[in-house]
Amino acid sequence: MTPLRFRAYVKTAAMSAGDVGDSPLFVVDFALRILRVLVLLALWRTILGGREASGPMPLAAVLTYTVVAEVFAEQLAVRTALQLAVWEGTLVIRFLRPMGMVRQLAAEMAGKWLISLSLFSIPLVLLAPVLGVDPRPTSPLAALLFIPSLALAIIVGLALDLLFGAITVALEQPVWLIDYTRTAVATLLSGALLPLAYYPWGLGDVFSWLPFAAMAWAPLAIYTGTGSPLPLLASQLLWAAVLWPTADWLWRANREKLVGYGG
Amino acid sequence: MAVERPFKRLIHLWRLYATMDLLFLARGPQVALAYYLADIVVGLAAVTATFLLAERFDGIGPWTKPQVLFLLGYALLVRGLIDAFFNYNLAFISRRIGRGQLDHVLIQPQPLWIVLLTEGFAPVTGSGMLVPGLGLLFWAASQLGLAVPPTWYLLLAIDLLASLAVVLAFEYIVGSLAFWAPRAAEEINSSSWRLVTQLAPFPLEGLAGWALGSLVTVVPVGLVAWYPARVLLGIGSTVWENALLPAVAVGLSTLAFWIFTRGLRHYGRTGSTRYLDYGHRR
Repeated sequence: MTPLRFRAYVKTAAMSAGDVGDSPLFVVDFALRILRVLVLLALWRTILGGREASGPMPLAAVLTYTVVAEVFAEQLAVRTALQLAVWEGTLVIRFLRPMGMVRQLAAEMAGKWLISLSLFSIPLVLLAPVLGVDPRPTSPLAALLFIPSLALAIIVGLALDLLFGAITVALEQPVWLIDYTRTAVATLLSGALLPLAYYPWGLGDVFSWLPFAAMAWAPLAIYTGTGSPLPLLASQLLWAAVLWPTADWLWRANREKLVGYGG
Repeated sequence: MAVERPFKRLIHLWRLYATMDLLFLARGPQVALAYYLADIVVGLAAVTATFLLAERFDGIGPWTKPQVLFLLGYALLVRGLIDAFFNYNLAFISRRIGRGQLDHVLIQPQPLWIVLLTEGFAPVTGSGMLVPGLGLLFWAASQLGLAVPPTWYLLLAIDLLASLAVVLAFEYIVGSLAFWAPRAAEEINSSSWRLVTQLAPFPLEGLAGWALGSLVTVVPVGLVAWYPARVLLGIGSTVWENALLPAVAVGLSTLAFWIFTRGLRHYGRTGSTRYLDYGHRR
């Protein structure tokens, strides 16, 4: 990528970040997210209080897991504007730009992340000790390995986003029907809401092999020292290697259908 | 705008919307299957996290496993009722306001309240969570060996109605922001809905007093399922405890009405700047 092209993506991200300045109402959204964390922390303290030894994770690790999951909520459940563009019929405008479609969508998404990382995530990390939570990773090695794991989680998430976009068009189903179903399934299977280690009947072990787990469970398990980093990273690499060619193929195979779909 | 024999009009419109909803689903098996499967998956996913925790720990805090299932059944039922009666973004009013779609409602020759009560009626497409919710509620009640006199059913009906009112009032209070900031607040009801649906199926014991107080007043997530489930299970059984939910529901509905009508007045002066002839938004 030439420097000029790279600058175009940076500019796209900056413009996307600038959209937030239209209104301060995103603060309401942040407040609701803080409330959600408070309830989840209280819930874990109620459940695990007095029986920490019986669980697969100590209470402190579960609390850290909950806070860090919210700090990186957007990175652990990647969403570009693809579904919105398909719904609004504005995807064609993106095809006209001299930029890769996925890269533009990713740049827009990254721009929005900058705002929430600075105005929500960092304050939440600073607030964590007040809530009785130690937000630090379990070890320096865990901190180091968390970075590639988070990057892989984003890569897998992007591939899934493109894949679901292609599925929506391929099956000619309503955009939001697929989107809601995906959100519901991903919340449950990714481990973003509850650590997979706490699922009964060995379900967590099964779910940890699915691509959704590569989006949230893997980096969070590494961060809190709950899982072995190497198998977790390997599974993320595997899913990235499988999902990208699949998503790319399905998208290209159904791109012409977009016209009929209204995109 | 006054309407003659409003109850008859309500029934007539509900019948009309039910027919249209049935025709929508009857377009083909693919549509029907997609809607039903999506509804069931979304509904089950919403309560499964709590269920898995209850299973793992044989209950949550002071709640036994069947009590948690009762709570989940109640939460699912409230959600199913909203889907069946307030579909098509009537529970996500910020979308309608923000997109300028309120004009579609205002030009109709009938009062606004009648439109808001009837236009979202989708007893077929919106019923995917109703049956599982009812089934779970009564199965859990039978597991608990609850003695259910006729007055219990009356209390259940009152509490369900009150929970519906609480959710809708909260959505309308938050969603009314879109009158003043149509673009920025268009999707604000998605955030408030996510908060309600994600936290409603959890028992809230263990929260600090101020947090619990906030969750039954300012952000009334606790009144959606946790509080009424406690009352119906006999955990809170005094008259005062039974009356709290309906009382808060009336208070919140009044507040929602006041804020919504203030917003509507503002809308009357400014109109929508986002509606375009060809249907897209600015």
